[in-house]
Amino acid sequence: MAELPTRSLSLTINGEAIGPVDVPEDLMMIDFLHEYQGLTGSRLGCGQGICRACVVILDHDDGTSEEMRICITGAHFFNGKRIRTIEGHAERDAAGDIVALNPIQQKFIDHFAFQCSYCAPGFVNAATVLVERLQRDPLAAGELEGAIEQALGEHICRCTGYVRYYQATRAVIEELGLAKEG
Amino acid sequence: MRRLLLGALLLAPTLAVQAADDETLIEQGRYLARAADCAACHTAEGGAPFAGGRPIESPFGTIYGTNITPDPQHGIGDYSRDDFYHALTEGETPSGRQLYPAMPYTSYHLMRREDSDAIYAYLNSLEPIARSAPETRLSFPYNQRWGVALWNLVYADALQPEDAASHSPAWQRGQYLVEAMGHCGECHTPRGWTGAMDLDHHLEGGMLAGYLAPSLKAEALAERGWTRDDLARFLRDGMSPQGSMFNEMFPVMHLSTQHLEDDDLAAMATYLLGDSPPEARRIDAHPLEELGDSARRGRQGYLDTCAGCHGIEGQGKPQVAVAMEGNTTLRLEAPDNLLKVMLNGIAAQDFPGFARMQEMPGFASKLSDAELADLSNYLRETWGGRAGDVSPEDVAALREESGHATP
Repeated sequence: MAELPTRSLSLTINGEAIGPVDVPEDLMMIDFLHEYQGLTGSRLGCGQGICRACVVILDHDDGTSEEMRICITGAHFFNGKRIRTIEGHAERDAAGDIVALNPIQQKFIDHFAFQCSYCAPGFVNAATVLVERLQRDPLAAGELEGAIEQALGEHICRCTGYVRYYQATRAVIEELGLAKEG
Repeated sequence: MRRLLLGALLLAPTLAVQAADDETLIEQGRYLARAADCAACHTAEGGAPFAGGRPIESPFGTIYGTNITPDPQHGIGDYSRDDFYHALTEGETPSGRQLYPAMPYTSYHLMRREDSDAIYAYLNSLEPIARSAPETRLSFPYNQRWGVALWNLVYADALQPEDAASHSPAWQRGQYLVEAMGHCGECHTPRGWTGAMDLDHHLEGGMLAGYLAPSLKAEALAERGWTRDDLARFLRDGMSPQGSMFNEMFPVMHLSTQHLEDDDLAAMATYLLGDSPPEARRIDAHPLEELGDSARRGRQGYLDTCAGCHGIEGQGKPQVAVAMEGNTTLRLEAPDNLLKVMLNGIAAQDFPGFARMQEMPGFASKLSDAELADLSNYLRETWGGRAGDVSPEDVAALREESGHATP
């Protein structure tokens, strides 16, 4: 079999500069994380951009962040870009061991938000993007439910019925004081 | 008494026959109303069937489809058969009001009287809906209905079918379905400054809601890869190896063509492609080494943002995304439809028989003009048999027209 054509890839993952690495031109990002980086927390679900179990966070230079579905986005799309994955959220000590979960992860556990956990990485990243948006631009409390629905509504979960994910996300936002009166 | 009884016995089968005849006529009317796609304009989204209210955007303003249920005040309950035929084919209501030519009497004037009568019977069998559709208010001078009367002198019956005598019965049937009932030319023919179809370029393609309704001429269809079988299948299923319906053609399939008999769809394809159709052009994928610079750059963009659904070799994924190989939109001379789909995306769609296509996201906020130009050149050169001559400026113009900001 002919060797796959490759090209050089450099990017930042969870604050760490990666590369340059030679990566096949047509490799999907989820396979790059799994096979090249040993970061297996992003889940391959539908493989066609529907379920959003694979979602990671793309950080922009202007301080905004957005969700990316990496089962349908090639690794080279991220050349020169910065992303965060589920492995990057918790606080770690010098040895790399987890010391504390971030507030979203912790609230998801406190609220029994997930069961089988397959969709959880995508939900954590989606909720993180929402919380960061509200940190830049807080929302009236009356609009919160709609904002949560908009942020998490496309993510598919087959166990919980979503209510506990929504409640946990609301709790994080309220505790951080990101919903104003009104 | 005996005579009465005898009379009743004699009458009963006649009444039963009459009722069965009515039922047959109503069923014929239901079919023909679908063939004529009356619901496209006369049924609002989520509204009662044929109660009107669907907004139709025109260069002259928004026109609303009217209520054509048998309500006497708001609908056509007071129309006689003659009145109905007159409105359908000449664009004038019983009260003498001129309809705006968004009502395609410019095509329906070719409709047979018996077909009009069947549609009339069907519409009159429906539940009357006592609700008026929103009133159409065009700005001056287009609100002057007498102007339409003058317009009609020139255009009302300008569309005259080609002589059908030397053609097959299927072709003749197809001509009637395409030209009169389906009124395909109303969108697929360019319009002049008066808003009338430019019949010198009949079926050569027209602009609609920002997209090109492409040419339906036989040579152009064959050039874009269409065979009669595929065209008939496309009308029935909304998809075929050439791609899937989007924009304004998608509701046409839902409301009209999916309900037509296979023979009628085959007849339409026969009329459009001809009794001796030109051979559909096959295009083998053009190898990467032979592509231009822009297209070669576009290759990586394709792998990064498109191949996940459309396949690395452009093979597509069933029920998810159409194939690029053989795709008819890539073959259009103008890249505009392709670029607009790339900018705007296509919402998730349901097709007949539980088939579906996943949402195609728009890339206006993700990709720059240069990246989109490279991508479209890759697609058009590789699978469309076209030159890679799309420039970032071309993309910028369409981006502005579609109201998207630059990322």
